[in-house]
Amino acid sequence: MIDIPTIPWCALAPELAVATWILLLLVATLCVPAHRQSVLSHLAVLGIVVAAGLLVWASQHPSASGGTAMLSLDRFGGYFKGLLLLATAVVIVMTRLPRQLLTHVGAFYLLLYTALLGALILVSVNNLLLLFLGLELLTFSLYIMAAYVKTDPRSVEAGMKYLILGSVSSGFLIYGIALLYGMAGTITFTGVRAAFANTQPTPVAGQVGLYLILAGLGFKVAAVPFQLWVPDVYEGAPTPVVAMLSVGSKMAGVVAMLRLLDGLVAPVQWVWTPVLAVISAATMLYGNLGAIPQTNIKRLLGYSSIGHAGYLLMGIATATPESAAAISYYLLAYLCSNLAVFLVVVIVGGATGSDSLDEYRGLSRRSPGLAAAMFIALLSLAGVPPLAGFVGKLLVLLSAVKGQRLWLVAIGAVNVAISLYYYLTVVKRMYLEAPNTSSSIRITPLAAATLAALVLGIVVVGVYQQPFLAYIRSTL
Amino acid sequence: MPSLLFSTPHLAWLMISPTHYVRLSAVLFAIGLMGLMTRRNVLMILLCIEVMFNAANLAFVAYARAWGNLDGHVVVFFIITVAAAEVTVGLAIAILLARQLKTLNADEVRLLKW
Repeated sequence: MIDIPTIPWCALAPELAVATWILLLLVATLCVPAHRQSVLSHLAVLGIVVAAGLLVWASQHPSASGGTAMLSLDRFGGYFKGLLLLATAVVIVMTRLPRQLLTHVGAFYLLLYTALLGALILVSVNNLLLLFLGLELLTFSLYIMAAYVKTDPRSVEAGMKYLILGSVSSGFLIYGIALLYGMAGTITFTGVRAAFANTQPTPVAGQVGLYLILAGLGFKVAAVPFQLWVPDVYEGAPTPVVAMLSVGSKMAGVVAMLRLLDGLVAPVQWVWTPVLAVISAATMLYGNLGAIPQTNIKRLLGYSSIGHAGYLLMGIATATPESAAAISYYLLAYLCSNLAVFLVVVIVGGATGSDSLDEYRGLSRRSPGLAAAMFIALLSLAGVPPLAGFVGKLLVLLSAVKGQRLWLVAIGAVNVAISLYYYLTVVKRMYLEAPNTSSSIRITPLAAATLAALVLGIVVVGVYQQPFLAYIRSTL
Repeated sequence: MPSLLFSTPHLAWLMISPTHYVRLSAVLFAIGLMGLMTRRNVLMILLCIEVMFNAANLAFVAYARAWGNLDGHVVVFFIITVAAAEVTVGLAIAILLARQLKTLNADEVRLLKW
């Protein structure tokens, strides 16, 4: 007798809405004439609103998850689903700005939605097969999006580099999953966890499998030594794609690591945590030192995102409920700050046609509002109080102190100073140097409103930590 | 296996067990990884990645045989589909690369600092 599990459709509502919208966008892309492309972006935004509404509704209908279910549809995942929907909405706003991806915007939204669906699966993953499928859905969409500007050789090159290195890491991941399956005879997290708990000593194949899976996920979050693609892809790919890559993709990878650590690796944490601590230190140093000589803002932000991956890995290496809360808070702060920075990059890049740091000379005189938003967002990324990024870094460092990893905390603290230096060189260009031209940069009302909302988010999340922290702790 | 050859005790080492397949899959994985690092043509790199995926397929089938359950077989179907999708995207981008940069040599693709 086959036991057919009941499917919690209510709890799955956001994913189902996104999947439905993928089909809707596919049809709409074919039907909508070329001069009515704005209909498609309205449809895309509507999809996010519907999915967000269903997410709130679904959280009122808790489902019995965990166990052998393929997805754990709990509130912890719900929090990150909300953040992912927010990030996607901002990316859609970026594509609406002047001189961004004017051709075939419908297909772009389609890919954005498939990437979103992959990320939604990853943040609630509870099965090794779904871990692989969610990751592939997310990265395949991003490969195509990175190479989206077919006429720009740099975009194509970025797509190719991302695809090759991404596929190799998928190969590591799937071979690691094969080894775990060989050890446990099942692909559910609980089954593999039980196999680890019951086998003494831990089989070598199981350990190798765990390291291979770590390599596959390390690529997603841009951890050393799997970070080589980051600066090139960030520089070559269209900026809205880079925003999705740096926020959505990284968040999904980090949360999948947390899920694995909690659901599968828990009995043999000693396999992962020391390695993660070393990787974290190397990642922070590589990202922050590599950012210093950069002359292209997107490349600089690529290195900066590697640096942030280091802090997130520090939280994962600590592996306590407290560090999970710290990571959740850090990701919220990182989302607001990074999206605000990328929104400014999109606006300035659209107006000047270049992503060189020289374009930011005298931005405060050309466009004071834009410069102020960039200033606040960069300071938040650097971790200056009282902004959101500061609290995120503080919480991660505090959890690492309690986890008795003082050497890692020391490296993290040094890196705050290093990152402050290169973020401030951008600020120096904006405020102290004379502009190349005196013409002001035009900002559409939509972009201004989104930017204001993100900056407000940075300040509010930084000043009123308690409600956010209390909510995050309640989801754990 | 009730064959006369394999039931003969002094020839038992000839018996091919799932372990052999797993070892073969590890060798395949290593071959794919080596090819990936030594080959410079984008098409060859994509082929090497396929070899790595198929090494995982072989391991899954062998382990599924050893455990006597179907999970591994199911995963293999998904991997085959995903690998097909991956090579489709890869070849499409390779065509764009050949059109834009007139080369498929990974060493000559260096508009962005590597």
